[in-house]
Amino acid sequence: MNLATKKWIFLKLSSIILIPLMLWFIINFVSIYDKSYLEVLNFFSNSINKFLFSLFIIFAYFFSALSISEVFEDYINNEKIKNVANRALQISAIAISFLTIITIFNLN
Amino acid sequence: MENKKPLSPHIQIYSWHISSLVSISHRITGIINIIAITVICFWSCWLILGENNYNIMNYFLGSLIGKFFIIGVVWSFSFQILSEIRHLIMDMGHGFELQTTRITGLLVIFGSLVLTILIYLIGRTFI
Repeated sequence: MNLATKKWIFLKLSSIILIPLMLWFIINFVSIYDKSYLEVLNFFSNSINKFLFSLFIIFAYFFSALSISEVFEDYINNEKIKNVANRALQISAIAISFLTIITIFNLN
Repeated sequence: MENKKPLSPHIQIYSWHISSLVSISHRITGIINIIAITVICFWSCWLILGENNYNIMNYFLGSLIGKFFIIGVVWSFSFQILSEIRHLIMDMGHGFELQTTRITGLLVIFGSLVLTILIYLIGRTFI
């Protein structure tokens, strides 16, 4: 199996997992976005919400990194710039999701 | 090192059809979503800084611009969800006829508006 096929399969699998997570998150986000500190803290302190939110963040960044790299593939001709852009995308996706999950699991 | 592979034609080259509109909107909403998710990540991390710091973010989200941001994010998520479902159906080999692509494209565009209202109502009323 070549790299492009693997990438496509990962993209499709992550999108199947991401669709219900997106729906779960956006409905809950609409319900809490303007709530008080304690109510929002309460939402993120719940173990199920912590777990689902972490899954959502992991799959959202994974899916986005793969799809944005497709946009780079389509519109950036210079290999060097494309590699730098892809590397920056991957590092920021890992760093932001890691930082968020660590923070969420430290909330009580 | 220059790549010899041809690039995709840039969007101003295309004559607009429903399917191209949905396709480019899918990419744009994908980028909007990841920016919005990054903002949401910072918002959730903000909680660890305590109530006083959180209230600054809360003030923004409660403002008119904040509400516009929330509704925009809900629409962007709705569009992405419906468009992704359309892509998955097409990946299974269905919906390639010209008329069907037009209908499913329109369903994604108008469906995203309906889904935005539904998500907002469910979120504000039932949760």
